[in-house]
Amino acid sequence: MANYDLTPRIAPNLDRHLVFPLLEFLQERQLYPDQDILRAKLELLNQTNMVDYAMDIHRAFYHTEDVPQDMVDRRAEVVARLKALEEGASPLVSFLQNENAYQELRAEKQYNLQMLNERYQIGPEQIEALYQYAKFQFECGNYSGAADYLYLYRTLCTNSERSLSALWGKLAAEILMQNWDIALDELNRVKEIIDSKSFSSPLNQVQNRIWLMHWSLFIFFNHDNGRTQIIDLFNQDKYLNAIQTSAPHLLRYLATAFVVNKRRRPQFKDFIKVIQQEQYSYEDPITEFLACVYVKYDFDAAQQKMRECEEVILNDPFLGKRAEEGNFASVPLRDEFLENARLFIFETYCRIHQRIDMGVLAEKLNLNYEEAERWIVNLIRTSKLDAKIDSKTGTVLMEPNQPNVYEQLIDHTKALSGRTYKLVSQLLEHAQTQQAAR
Amino acid sequence: MASRFWTQGGDSETEEEESDYEQEDNEVPVEDINKAAKSKYLQGSDTESDDEDGQKRVVKSVKDKRFEEMTATIDQMKNAMKINDWVSLQESFDKINKQLEKVMRVNESDRVPNVYIKALVMLEDFLNQALANKEAKKKMSSSNAKALNSMKQKLKKNNKQYEEMINKYRENPEVEEEEDGDDDDEDGEEEDSEFEEDPSKLGMESDAEEDEDKEAGEDDANETGPGWEKMMSKKDKLMDKQFKDPSQITWDTVNKKFKEIVAARGRKGTGRIELVEQLTFLTRVAKTPAQKLEILFSVVSAQFDVNPSLNTHMPINVWKKCVQNLLTILDILTQYANIVVDDMVEPDENETQKGTDYNGAIRIWGNLVAFLERIDVEFFKSLQVIDPHTREYIERLRDEPTLAVLSQNVQEYLERAGDNKGAAKVALKRVELIYYKPQEVYDAMRKLAEQNEGGEGETDGEPKAVEESRAPPSFVATPEIVPRKPTFPESSRTLMDILVSLIYRSGDERTKARAMLCDIYHHALLDEFSTSRDLLLMSHLQDSIQHMDISTQILFNRAMAQLGLSAVRVGLIAEGHSCLCELYSAGRVKELLAQGVSQSRFHEKTPEQERMERRRQMPYHMHINLELLEAVHLICAMLLEVPNMAANSHDAKRKVISKTFRRLLEVSERQTFTGPPENVRDHVMAATRALRQGDYQKAFDVINSLDIWRLLRNKDSVLEMLRAKIKEEALRTYLFTYSSSYDSLSLDQLAKMFDLSDKQTHSIVSKMMITEELHASWDQPTRCMVFHDVEHTRLQALAFHLTEKLTVLAESNERAQESRIGGGGLENLPLRRRDGHDYAAAAAASGGTARWQDLSFSQGRHGTGGGRTGYNAGGRTYSGQAGGFSRDRTGQSRGVGRTYQTGSAARASQMDGSTRMVSLNRGAYA
Repeated sequence: MANYDLTPRIAPNLDRHLVFPLLEFLQERQLYPDQDILRAKLELLNQTNMVDYAMDIHRAFYHTEDVPQDMVDRRAEVVARLKALEEGASPLVSFLQNENAYQELRAEKQYNLQMLNERYQIGPEQIEALYQYAKFQFECGNYSGAADYLYLYRTLCTNSERSLSALWGKLAAEILMQNWDIALDELNRVKEIIDSKSFSSPLNQVQNRIWLMHWSLFIFFNHDNGRTQIIDLFNQDKYLNAIQTSAPHLLRYLATAFVVNKRRRPQFKDFIKVIQQEQYSYEDPITEFLACVYVKYDFDAAQQKMRECEEVILNDPFLGKRAEEGNFASVPLRDEFLENARLFIFETYCRIHQRIDMGVLAEKLNLNYEEAERWIVNLIRTSKLDAKIDSKTGTVLMEPNQPNVYEQLIDHTKALSGRTYKLVSQLLEHAQTQQAAR
Repeated sequence: MASRFWTQGGDSETEEEESDYEQEDNEVPVEDINKAAKSKYLQGSDTESDDEDGQKRVVKSVKDKRFEEMTATIDQMKNAMKINDWVSLQESFDKINKQLEKVMRVNESDRVPNVYIKALVMLEDFLNQALANKEAKKKMSSSNAKALNSMKQKLKKNNKQYEEMINKYRENPEVEEEEDGDDDDEDGEEEDSEFEEDPSKLGMESDAEEDEDKEAGEDDANETGPGWEKMMSKKDKLMDKQFKDPSQITWDTVNKKFKEIVAARGRKGTGRIELVEQLTFLTRVAKTPAQKLEILFSVVSAQFDVNPSLNTHMPINVWKKCVQNLLTILDILTQYANIVVDDMVEPDENETQKGTDYNGAIRIWGNLVAFLERIDVEFFKSLQVIDPHTREYIERLRDEPTLAVLSQNVQEYLERAGDNKGAAKVALKRVELIYYKPQEVYDAMRKLAEQNEGGEGETDGEPKAVEESRAPPSFVATPEIVPRKPTFPESSRTLMDILVSLIYRSGDERTKARAMLCDIYHHALLDEFSTSRDLLLMSHLQDSIQHMDISTQILFNRAMAQLGLSAVRVGLIAEGHSCLCELYSAGRVKELLAQGVSQSRFHEKTPEQERMERRRQMPYHMHINLELLEAVHLICAMLLEVPNMAANSHDAKRKVISKTFRRLLEVSERQTFTGPPENVRDHVMAATRALRQGDYQKAFDVINSLDIWRLLRNKDSVLEMLRAKIKEEALRTYLFTYSSSYDSLSLDQLAKMFDLSDKQTHSIVSKMMITEELHASWDQPTRCMVFHDVEHTRLQALAFHLTEKLTVLAESNERAQESRIGGGGLENLPLRRRDGHDYAAAAAASGGTARWQDLSFSQGRHGTGGGRTGYNAGGRTYSGQAGGFSRDRTGQSRGVGRTYQTGSAARASQMDGSTRMVSLNRGAYA
């Protein structure tokens, strides 16, 4: 199943630290040999300052207790640098930690800067040092500290470029701390900046959007309201364009969101077209499933794909999230997906049939006969389906839903008289005021 | 024939010449002859007036008439001379000057007709004669003498303009007589007249040039070749005289001579080829590399000057020499890195004196990019002009690698020099050399380039050796540093990618757009439809292409055509059709793709337009096969249009996908007898007929019998795809056409009928059901489809029509009211509108509107009357009573839309009263 794994395509668009959860997940799923994953982790860590963690991994990887000398050296170096940075930022940090002093800050940045400069001798160097310190904290894996400092930095920062990168840092830190609500706020803030800012080249902007979408996957598939919001974000023209040009693999997540979403959206039809158009550049079972149901009307294949989808969902770090209830673990998204997918197939199938054999239907729905019957009865009872079951022949009979000609005619004309009356009354009023004006 | 008269100036002028000859021979009867000719001509036009030929002559004579007027004036002048009447002579002179202007305008040339020059010469002679004869002068009447004096001054002034031509005429009246007045040859003639001592050669030269103009494909290079050889030797001798002793040559002498030669450039009476030879000689005696470079630049520009006309190309051997010179320039530039080529600053007078040991930057004037572009243009032009079916064309094509290597070297040099803009321009030239080549052709070129190395070394070495032996060895030897052999990567795509990314980085807008189009074309050529489509869509070129130059537009059209072809090759019929249909909508494909001049029946092109169009033509080897294109377009249209027509059989005009196709179909249906198909159109029409009856096999056979398919690389797979598509569309057409005659139809039978698999059939039919094209549903246990009877009866259909019309009426009413009162209601009304006078006046002004309003008012009153019950009841539900319902609706809408209160009976009655009053008022005003 490793061929549907998107990690190699997603990882380049993420922050180093954000790749960790993905690797953890892969390790858990046992898709790749353990050794490979450990090596990948080690490489990842070599560029960060999380030296202690890297040492642990190293030990696990080589099954030794010794740690290479350069790691030890690096650790010392990191610690020293951390100290230096801390010192540089300390005046500002101590100021900010002082409740009373902190109260003096106002909404106006210029004022704050001036005030700091005059009263506390805190100039641009200290503020810059705060940023560096926060960044370093983040690289060391101290996300909460980094998030706090970055927040403070943003209240004082005047450079918009720096401010944006601080925002990115904050977003990453919040994601890693799994504060989904805050992360969502940050996400929207970053999005606003990206959309409003004028980039040096459109390409840059697209790249930023791609990053944003990748990062947002963490949030959307963990936040309660995420599945609606992912559609809102990804389905905007600008973002959809970005997906189509540079990151078609994101279509998987959008497709899943569409399937899982309860309310059928008007954009769904357009999305099917997008899938059709992008077939050449990206295909995976989930998009193929939609294509089978809505483009090719090939229900056997759709059912085949449905089975594959299950695998894909289980192995995807974002989709296959487990919900632990006691000692019973389930993947909520999988169940939901399957249920909805089944409904999709059935709905389309019913639209073009007037009589269906129950056995065939059960097979198409991946259910046994009894279950299928129960399922259909349920649908009929909740009046989702206008049909009857003929138990003697074992078939489902669809009620014809051809609209009556007379009804159609009445529909067409119903609005007309209303409109005319409205017209008349407007004219009357107009005349009346004329009268009054005279 | 007539049109040839019109477009080619030469013919009418030959007539003129004839009469000139006659004038020469015997002066006196000229007038008679002319008159006779004229009257004959007029007679002819009278008698043949209904004849087509005659009519055309009337048109033609505009130009002739001017000439005739002019000759008539000259005759008058002659007469005046005979009787020594200066007054009338002066008048005639003024007249002829006016006529001259007209003639020039009609001819669209800047060349003065010979007749005029002759007259001037004659006049001058006569004037001198008269002035010399003092006695006769004394005898003249006072008015005559006065006229003579003023004539003298006028003539002196006037003749100054034409001094050159007059002198030439005096020197050599014969030549002048023989030459056509064709503007293109003018410069050539001058050149020729330089070498009077060799008349035989002269004849040959002018012959060659004429051929070049007319036939444009003759082997002029070979013919003129020997001529140049001869001249060369002669000129060399001349030069050698000056530089007899190599030891005495200094930088100064060379520089002086160089300045002298350059100064002579462009001056009348300087032979262009001679100039090139002199300069080439100088390059050998140049003292410093910088000087050599400077002279080489002049050589190249002089070589470009050899062919003065825009329409003809540079002789091929000159072109080759020019390329060699440019390569030498690059050699020098690479060898001496401190020499900078620049066309912005005027370099120092003695900049080139600095020798090899000088360390600083030496600036030389020159523009490599412009030179390269010119070389490329000349190459392109030569391919345009040469007949593609000759060997010469192939020979010429073999020069392509030479051009490739030159541009490659120039690009490399520019990149080294940091001129990225220039490098991008040069890269574009390289892109344009390869973008239209499929991999096979590209490979062939690569092989040719490799072979050439061996072959070219020999052929090149020979003349060089000869040169070397003949001339003194050059002072500044330049070893061949830059490679003389182009390097091509394995696949054309790699090369394209490298070049195109360079251009995207640093090219200007036009360069980028062109590169993008070439890129799209090339992707499409390699069957990567989706990539090239994405490129096209992302670049937004289709929005901005209207504002670009014509050659870029042509490139865009070519890219679109290729895109359409590639879409069909990968099986995307609808996409292919949308790419191609625009090209075919106006029926000017040839013109749009610049693959031939199309003749329009409706408006004649001016010669200028025609010349422009000819200049834009694509060389033959770059053509997109038009037959294939047409076949692909029509087949796409057929596949889309046939089921569409079947679906909308009751109103055919409603939804038309391809107008072109419909028109062709109509034409072919109008024929009484249909013979076996001959051309592409006939084939597709025959296939269409078969397809409409659901006979997929016959339709495919007809399409298959087209022999253009052999032009496709993956012919078999494309045909297989077409076969599948035809089957599918046949099934759809069949269902559309005959579904009304069936109650149910089994899947198996359908599948068998169209030789499709069950799955495919099921999928196609399901799709039709979902989109509600077909009113039917599956009966799963019996595997058949059941048709629903949803066809409307005639009465029902009419009722639907009626409702549609009613809706339209209601909409137009609303719109009319909106424009009158303003959509927003009373609040938005401008003050003026509340004024009763104004309003009534406006209503009175347009009687029709007023009546209409009255009508609606009375309707309104009825409505209020009927609706009051519902209104009073205050029910806001959709009551069954029509009046109450609608009343309610209005009340509601007022409640929502405006802010004043609703639902009081009193108000309703008040309104009722007011209506009546309004209409009464209206009556009074009207």
